[in-house]
Amino acid sequence: MAVDRRGFLKFVTGVSAGIMVTPVPWVLLDDLSIWTQNWPWIPSNVDGPNTFVSTVSKLCPSCVGMKVRLVGDRPVRILPDDNHPLSKGGISALAVAEAQMLHSPARVRRPLKRSGDGAYVAISWEEADALLAEKLGSAKGSLACVSGDETGTINEVLSAFTARAGSQNFYLMPSEIQPAAKALAAMGGEGQFGYDIENSDYVLAIGANILESWGTAIRNRAAFKDAHPHGQEPTVPYVYVGAVQGNTAAGADKWIAIKPGTEGAFALGLAHLLIKSGASSYASDFSAFASLAAGYTPEKVAELTGASADGIKALAAELQKARRPLVITGSEFGQGTPVGTVAAGMAVNLLLGGLNRPGGVKLLPVAAPVVDSALSRAQMMEKDFVAYLSRINAGKEKAPEAMLFYEANPAYGLPQADKMAEVLAQVPFKATFTTFLDETAMLCDLVLPVPMGLERLDDVATPYGSGSALYCLARPVAPMPANVRPAADYILGLAGKLGYSLGFGKWEDVLKAKAQAMGANWKSLMAGDVFVSTETVGASLSFGADLIAKSLTAKTAEGDFALAPVHKLNMGTAKTAIPPYNNKTIRRWELQGSEIYVAMNGATARKLNVSKHDKVVVSNKSGSIVARVNVFEGIMSDTVAVLMGLGHTAFDQFSKGKGENVMQLLTVGFEPGSGQSVWAMAGVNISKA
Amino acid sequence: MEAKEFKVRWVMAIDIDKCTGCGACMVACQAENNLAPVEDASFKLRVMNWLVVYELSNKQPFPDHDIAYLPRPCMQCGNPPCVSVCPVIATDKNEEGGIVSQVTPRCIGCRYCMAACPYHARYFNWFDPSWPEGMEKVLTPDVSVRPRGVVEKCTFCHHRFMQAKDKAIVEGRDPEALNDGDYVTSCAEACPNGAIVFGDVNNPDHAVYELARSQYACRLLERLHADPQVYYISRREWVRRQLDNYLENEQVKG
Ligand code: SF4
Ligand code: SF4
Repeated sequence: MAVDRRGFLKFVTGVSAGIMVTPVPWVLLDDLSIWTQNWPWIPSNVDGPNTFVSTVSKLCPSCVGMKVRLVGDRPVRILPDDNHPLSKGGISALAVAEAQMLHSPARVRRPLKRSGDGAYVAISWEEADALLAEKLGSAKGSLACVSGDETGTINEVLSAFTARAGSQNFYLMPSEIQPAAKALAAMGGEGQFGYDIENSDYVLAIGANILESWGTAIRNRAAFKDAHPHGQEPTVPYVYVGAVQGNTAAGADKWIAIKPGTEGAFALGLAHLLIKSGASSYASDFSAFASLAAGYTPEKVAELTGASADGIKALAAELQKARRPLVITGSEFGQGTPVGTVAAGMAVNLLLGGLNRPGGVKLLPVAAPVVDSALSRAQMMEKDFVAYLSRINAGKEKAPEAMLFYEANPAYGLPQADKMAEVLAQVPFKATFTTFLDETAMLCDLVLPVPMGLERLDDVATPYGSGSALYCLARPVAPMPANVRPAADYILGLAGKLGYSLGFGKWEDVLKAKAQAMGANWKSLMAGDVFVSTETVGASLSFGADLIAKSLTAKTAEGDFALAPVHKLNMGTAKTAIPPYNNKTIRRWELQGSEIYVAMNGATARKLNVSKHDKVVVSNKSGSIVARVNVFEGIMSDTVAVLMGLGHTAFDQFSKGKGENVMQLLTVGFEPGSGQSVWAMAGVNISKA
Repeated sequence: MEAKEFKVRWVMAIDIDKCTGCGACMVACQAENNLAPVEDASFKLRVMNWLVVYELSNKQPFPDHDIAYLPRPCMQCGNPPCVSVCPVIATDKNEEGGIVSQVTPRCIGCRYCMAACPYHARYFNWFDPSWPEGMEKVLTPDVSVRPRGVVEKCTFCHHRFMQAKDKAIVEGRDPEALNDGDYVTSCAEACPNGAIVFGDVNNPDHAVYELARSQYACRLLERLHADPQVYYISRREWVRRQLDNYLENEQVKG
């Protein structure tokens, strides 16, 4: 059969049309595209039945309540919990990443022992037990123990263990709660300060980063949310006074810039104006306080703090107009606050009639310890770990024979961190109970892996900042890895072996006793409920005038520039480092590659003759860091803001080797009057690198 | 081209004055939608993020400086510039609710849509996603993991929409008339400040109905007429001015 041209064209058209019409090539293409996207090395999702368990975060310093979504037995999401008073439908940037952290590459999965050449070798729990019992046995009378858990009853177990080992050296890692407790003691009160932010009609935060990291931050933010109806005028004004226009200032309706470390003076300026317009008190030392405050005229305070005199006057007038104002003082980065600063803020509350009234400061009851010979909370607050290390460093006290760390990372998280690590090096035997291989673990002879909060039974009792005494349980929602042991049970067992009687054999029984002491019902706690008490402790506080006066005589910092560390929960804590999922929340001009950016305003940059991206050395007698400059106008003049949470030398690829640790630049001083170690006011010199 | 009409239109009304820039929404988004963590996230052009919280500044020197944060998901545009350029219809705006879909198995990775999107809401998988060993156990079953070579973007947590509809059907309710709060995105759910409110803008019973009509509400680059389904609310004029690059003397809404 001959094929002519026309016939051929018809044939081609027919074939083309056929191809167009038949689905075969399209199906093949589709299959191909799907096939090329199904590589075996890309994980696929696994389905299963969904369950939700309410619990509380032991990782996030805000003690946020959370609902864990499980698929089968795997926790996959951390969700906010509408019913938890410390969540109120919100979640922190740290806690929301907690499920992922169960599988963090930095997790310690079996006991490790440091061998002679400094390398860590995995050992069995039996070996670890034997080593620990031997070392602690021979260190009897010379043991120190440091806990990084501020709210847990495990501190009773640890402090009782330390006491039974013949030592008084039980410490908490420093935070805002210790200066607050000391201020309360100096003012003649008992219990714990509680802040009734929900019922306040005017919220003034001096230093304290209430909408990001201070106290029960997520609960604070729920109050902020209610006070700021979407798209409308706020019903309760929030004012932030601090050196950096950070996250709290971004939400606040007004930001007043002051120099870092001048929070106490600013509060006294307000007290001065309140007294001048008639505020008074029956407190025994009111006249002493009034004469102290008399020296803090708006002009003087303006000079000390860098705020404007008119701004201070306007603020005092607004406070006076409010019916239920609340003043919250603290350090911008959650530690190192002088006791006098807290007391000065409290003095303003007293002058505003804010003690034990709705929307003011409440004195919350604190339950007595349930474990024999454990320290009470008040006694724990008295203990100052930084002061202890400083005494050892100065040769005024002997280093202990052995030191135990529980979820604490002093080698990274203390001021002058390197110096502190040097002091720790003087301790012959160190062991840590930890979830992650952190900087402190890298100094220890023995690393004992403990379960994460999601894998263990634990508790939270009235975190600092809470508006009422409360108690809740962290319940195990994820299976515990094979080779980790819950620390509390382990210590109770160890105590038994060493012949120290703590009165309990099982951790669960300690918690049951604690629940009872708090007045809570165990069954309902185990069902995920939170026990909240409406009780307050009656008291007539004094002003602590003497303490405030002495505190304010503290020398101003050395150096030409003030340092303002910035603490944000997305960066994690010294215990967690940066959670893998949180890297992306670090801003462009906070970190580039491994280089940290520090921020200053344009005037400061001009003074230094530097511009954005220039390399500078920020230094003082404690240490120095190399950084690049970011020009950001939301910072007090002559001040440099440095993000906390960078510069890890341990943990994993998500944290290690990124930027510098600002703690190196924080110099410890001792507050006149209270003797408390303080580092909220550091000076630095800055030069072009 | 006329925008398609939808009976249900899911929108976000984000109050910029309430956002403090904490980043919880960004982390919640990654966890919900199975985005992989990265070791170095500082090269922002390569980092996959369906939701980014940008920092805004009023550009005044200290002490008159003011700051704001702007969370930016996909705007689910009414006239999506990204849809018309896709040669394989891997992205479309079709379903009731007005969410712009992204069918990653169909995507051929040409990245036209990325060029077309005025909001930089689209991301290309330059690499295969990878999780540290064991962390893949935390993947949710709701959203499949995307391989290298395809584009992805925020879907308003579309799987939650489907779950909410399923639930309504099971309970004998109309899936096209969900109650306010039946369906919320992961970011809106996470935000402790309640800065993100989510709902059906066509339903007067949903909070966003009023919010989108607020005198302070405007949308990003509104004058491009992409007709976004994300409304931003700010009582601050300088913020609204920046949302649409207004000229200095031009009047802004509100
Ligand atoms: S979670 Fe809320 S406050 Fe935090 S960055 Fe996102 S929108 Fe802003
Ligand atoms: S924001 Fe970008 S990706 Fe989203 S619909 Fe609009 S054009 Fe498309």
